[in-house]
Amino acid sequence: MGTTRRVLITGVSRFWGCHLARRLEASPDIERIVAIDTEAPPLDLERTDFVRADIRRSTIGKLLDALGIDTVVHAALIVDPRRASPRTVHETNVIGTMNLMAACSAPDGPVRKLVVKSSTAVYGAEPDDPSIWGEATPRRSAPRDPFTRDLDEVEGYVRDFMVRRPDAVTTVLRFANVLGPSHSTPFSRLFDMRVVPTVAGFDPRLQFVHENDAVSVLEHAVLDDVHGTFNVAGPGAVVLSQALAIMGAVNLPVLPFVGAELAMAMIDRAVPLGFAPHLTRLLQFGRVVDTTAVQQRFGLALEHTTADTVLAYARDRRVRDVVRDDVGYRYEVELEDFLRSQRTGQNGHTGAASKPRPRRARSANGSRPRRTRAKPA
Amino acid sequence: MTARRTASRTTPTSSNGRSRTTPALRLPSLPSLRSLTSDLPGAAMSATGTLASVLRDIAGRDVIDLESLHDVLSFAYRVADLRTRHGSGDYQVDEFGFDPDFTNALEPLVRLIYRRYWRVDARGLEHLPSHGPALLVSNHSGVLPLDGAMISLAVHEQTDRFTRALIATWFGSLPVLSWFLRRTGGTLGHPDDTLRLLGSGEIVLVFPEGVRGTGKPFRERYRLRRFGRGGYVEMALRARVPIIPISVVGAEEIYPMIGDVQPLARVLGFPYFPVTPTWPLLGPLGLIPLPSKWSIHFHDPVSTGDLPAGAADDPLLVMSLNDQVRDTIQAGLVEQLRERRSVFRG
Repeated sequence: MGTTRRVLITGVSRFWGCHLARRLEASPDIERIVAIDTEAPPLDLERTDFVRADIRRSTIGKLLDALGIDTVVHAALIVDPRRASPRTVHETNVIGTMNLMAACSAPDGPVRKLVVKSSTAVYGAEPDDPSIWGEATPRRSAPRDPFTRDLDEVEGYVRDFMVRRPDAVTTVLRFANVLGPSHSTPFSRLFDMRVVPTVAGFDPRLQFVHENDAVSVLEHAVLDDVHGTFNVAGPGAVVLSQALAIMGAVNLPVLPFVGAELAMAMIDRAVPLGFAPHLTRLLQFGRVVDTTAVQQRFGLALEHTTADTVLAYARDRRVRDVVRDDVGYRYEVELEDFLRSQRTGQNGHTGAASKPRPRRARSANGSRPRRTRAKPA
Repeated sequence: MTARRTASRTTPTSSNGRSRTTPALRLPSLPSLRSLTSDLPGAAMSATGTLASVLRDIAGRDVIDLESLHDVLSFAYRVADLRTRHGSGDYQVDEFGFDPDFTNALEPLVRLIYRRYWRVDARGLEHLPSHGPALLVSNHSGVLPLDGAMISLAVHEQTDRFTRALIATWFGSLPVLSWFLRRTGGTLGHPDDTLRLLGSGEIVLVFPEGVRGTGKPFRERYRLRRFGRGGYVEMALRARVPIIPISVVGAEEIYPMIGDVQPLARVLGFPYFPVTPTWPLLGPLGLIPLPSKWSIHFHDPVSTGDLPAGAADDPLLVMSLNDQVRDTIQAGLVEQLRERRSVFRG
């Protein structure tokens, strides 16, 4: 059982941080939730204290001390390159993490637990990769693009923290690409297109994690003590052509298999999808990670397989098509409430094709009637 | 004789005319389109069957091979079925990208090639386990990994199991082949992949020669290259599965590689750029393999279960087992070549 009482969440202006804060608000064990970011959270948070602060500043250490924070959730990692300039991404990811780790690892500091949101992008995507990445499988080649290099450094700082604070519980969660109705990602934008450019002659295996599951896993990591590194992805895999068929999109293999990154960059100028080089490589060579560990330790938190996630996204999108949202999807509270009422109104339509299993009242805001918790393995 | 055969094949009216007397073809007066499409294959099959038996009576031997016809038909139907389901994304691949339905749909076509084109003579199939893991080790030849498809079919015919082939990394970076090989059960020759598959009880096929085997010149046919560094033996020892050596004769002649344009290969990132008498001279036509006669021999399994626990970490033992397997395959090749009178007639 966890000993978490006072939580600090970074990156609360984005999907991960603010949804996690909302979930934690519903948990009576949590005494205090402090959320920091340079921008205000997009959701109305009830008992979360929002502090406008930059994790790149050393004041963060003082904040931790002053508030007696015992658990730090580092959810500020930017994985969607469209959200900020490359410079900001690098600054936030690498310098921010470095600074935050320095603050957390103060020997007499109050921090007892660290939860880091990382990404399976850290494995890269190369043709000679193993088919399934275990958490400990080493990469065969050094990362090629700046984003993956940054991610490597981020995990390096977290490893340093683990060395300096062996007594602290450190959870590193490597998330696969997230799909869900309330979170715009490069893949959701790709799937929203009617005609999708793909790499000629390639049909990669992909994995996704449902946005609710992603937040559930984060929440579980905060409430329980789960030490270690975990791949978080929906079990199983889909191939790209299959996902596109489910979305009802036309598969247009126009990207050449040599220099796909360049061609994608050109397409990106016309249609801003946010497919950075590391994502284009993913679109060519694919990636599948081993989800055995996360299923064992986080159990019920992962409700959707990868195939379920894609199906659920396709269904949610049909609702969205009716609602008509021409300006590209951004998180909107009213619209989200409407979608939620639609969902609870037609109970069960989100999972009609998947196998019957206990399904909680799904909601993006986290005010769930009951908590799901895995047995500690 | 041949004239009669072509005539009967190309003019369906004559076949219909012959068999209209059979009750199977007496259709109701106003058949709905749905019942017509579902009845037609059966009717066509029975009509062809009648025709085949009549022709056999006249000629005294099989003119129409019913099995081949059945393969062609079932291939057409399975592909049509596959297209419908794949069009809506309603299928499942495993984490390696293997799609059993896709593989099953292709099977009749592969069987047609197996039986009629390369007339594969498979022996020693009784060595294959009907359940549980095994590591099949074969010589590799023929520019493209078609020998893998033939071995897989032989295994499937015998045990009704799918073979998971370990493919060279290079094929993973090639367009089309990259996904095609995965869809049909292939995966990369990475130690993790091998152990995972063996651990889940699969039959795994490995070509330790890798691209050194497929890319060797024609004049060096049936001379085994180095068997890697014996990594496959290590995997078999770790997973404690039997090794079944396989020797394949015939695949060397399907694309006689008389040249290798290394500069072009280097530009394209290939390990070799093959030149055969027909490729790239005749363009896509050069991709048609020659109809050599094949024989595939499955040899006695090398059991690994009774070896001590740390055997996989003993390089001397690994290399000696590696040599043992390699010698078995080389001896098998020599034996099969001794029996072979002609490359194309066997």
